[in-house]
Amino acid sequence: MDNGKPKVAFFDFACCEGCQLTVIDSLQTHLDLLDAIEIVQFREAMSEKGENYQIAFIEGSCTRQEDEERLHKIRDQADIVVALGACAHLGGINALKNLHPLEDVRKWVYGDKAAWYDTYPARPIGAVIEVDAFIPGCPIDREEFVRVVKALLLGTKPPIPDYPVCVECKLKENVCLFDLGKICLGPVTRAGCNAICPSYGAACEGCRGLIPNPNENAMKDVLAKAGLTVEEIMSRFTMFNTYQLQERMAEEE
Amino acid sequence: MSLWILDKGAVAPLVNALRADYRVIGPQAKGPKFVFDPIEDPAQLRLDYNTTILPPKKVLQPPEERLATFSMGSEPRVAPVVEAEPTVLLGVHTCDLHAIQLLDKVFSTDYPDAHYLERRQQTIIFSIECLEPCDEHSFCKSMGTLTAGEGYDVHLTDLGLAYAADVATEAGKALLTRYGTVREATDADVRRLNEVMGAKWPRFTYRLNFDAAELPALLSMAYDHPLWDELGERCYACGACTIVCPTCYCFNVFDETNMALTEGERWRRWDSCQLDEFARVAGGENFRAARAARQRHRFMRKGKYIYEKIGELGCVGCGRCIRACIPKINIVDGFNTIHGGG
Repeated sequence: MDNGKPKVAFFDFACCEGCQLTVIDSLQTHLDLLDAIEIVQFREAMSEKGENYQIAFIEGSCTRQEDEERLHKIRDQADIVVALGACAHLGGINALKNLHPLEDVRKWVYGDKAAWYDTYPARPIGAVIEVDAFIPGCPIDREEFVRVVKALLLGTKPPIPDYPVCVECKLKENVCLFDLGKICLGPVTRAGCNAICPSYGAACEGCRGLIPNPNENAMKDVLAKAGLTVEEIMSRFTMFNTYQLQERMAEEE
Repeated sequence: MSLWILDKGAVAPLVNALRADYRVIGPQAKGPKFVFDPIEDPAQLRLDYNTTILPPKKVLQPPEERLATFSMGSEPRVAPVVEAEPTVLLGVHTCDLHAIQLLDKVFSTDYPDAHYLERRQQTIIFSIECLEPCDEHSFCKSMGTLTAGEGYDVHLTDLGLAYAADVATEAGKALLTRYGTVREATDADVRRLNEVMGAKWPRFTYRLNFDAAELPALLSMAYDHPLWDELGERCYACGACTIVCPTCYCFNVFDETNMALTEGERWRRWDSCQLDEFARVAGGENFRAARAARQRHRFMRKGKYIYEKIGELGCVGCGRCIRACIPKINIVDGFNTIHGGG
């Protein structure tokens, strides 16, 4: 029976399901979410598997041929597809495997059964199907998830910042990690996390992806001046953003 | 108005007494830096601080504040929210004091800003004379903010064992005499104050190679200067320089609704002209898309545009933008380059 609430489904691909766990967590502080939407499919949280949904949240990256078929099926059904978290949004840490020969990676993980598991380089879901919105982060920020749901209900653009983490870090009046001799990717990484890692003294690792217009050369200069080698600099950037860096390098060639 | 003497040992009792009736905010340590925050224990107060990460403007115009509440539906309702409470702001350096006077003008000109003005009206300022530069990035002397003759309720100068307290307003006097233990200054105290003031000036250096009064004219010739492209190459567009600036006041307004979309709140948050989105308008056009154009805009605001608007330079020489810049863009070097390069 139609209760007028948008029907929502959650799906997962190659991921740790930590973002879906954060969604479940958000229900603890935002019970009214369930007054506004009807969840019809959410493997991590319920047994029912409704196939009639308008909004699909997808966690995880695409790493196999059969993932593509499933993604297309979700896209055909849903009016709105949202990439949930770094793996779906960026490829995330799964894409680290793209830096190595596929055969080596499969042997490393599956040993002598490597032949049984046919995987290919990890990609964000946006590389396979059209994505209408994304919620960055590893994991996602609970409050940002709620804000995006509200924006979808209102029919407005989800309020995902285009500016770097430094903005939120400065507004919180944190001591800059560069002043403490640490290396932080905050200047080129998309904000929206309320600078949670630097606020606790840990350097930003770029899980929310590069801002749309990052000054990578300035960042590399600063990292080089901090005494990092090219390999060390690249290892900072590739933690979550391997897919984007490889795409950029391919474009430049 | 009058000169009083506040023994250093009398500061903690004064702060404690004030806390009964006021929110007391002052400089305190945060790791190796300092910040203005509410004082819970007088031992936190560090009047010997060098500079703070954010300027005391955050007390008058918080980084985020609620402006109004609203409800939707058949009978929409809007109720403005002005959040202010009686506050004593302790230990404001004179550069920041000049900046607050500038903000006072900005927020009372054209469209008086009830939120800022109400908070300002309820704030009593104890400023403090700087006897040493904060560090090598201070250029207050170049900007004429090395001391202040107005803008405070009480102005303290460290005489060693005690502070000279120059009381400028009735509110300051009432506060100092009601909550503190002070005595009137003697001729000997005045002589000591004059000595201290005379000795401080040589410790500060001019860092601009020219008179700051020339800035508006210099910048009016510098729109196409090659400096802007050079800065654009180095700038991250992270906004740190403007967020830590005591005279930057731009903000963005946004709404937060409840889940049922029946009611909500209108908020504002500090914005920055250095961010990609700042000058993006409907249709997607961005009239300051290049980082170089945004850095030029910042320099123009500080040295020309604000001057043209209210008759005062938009830079007070505190040096915070220099300290906060990871790729080390330096506004003093920039101004000097424009002066030298014509």
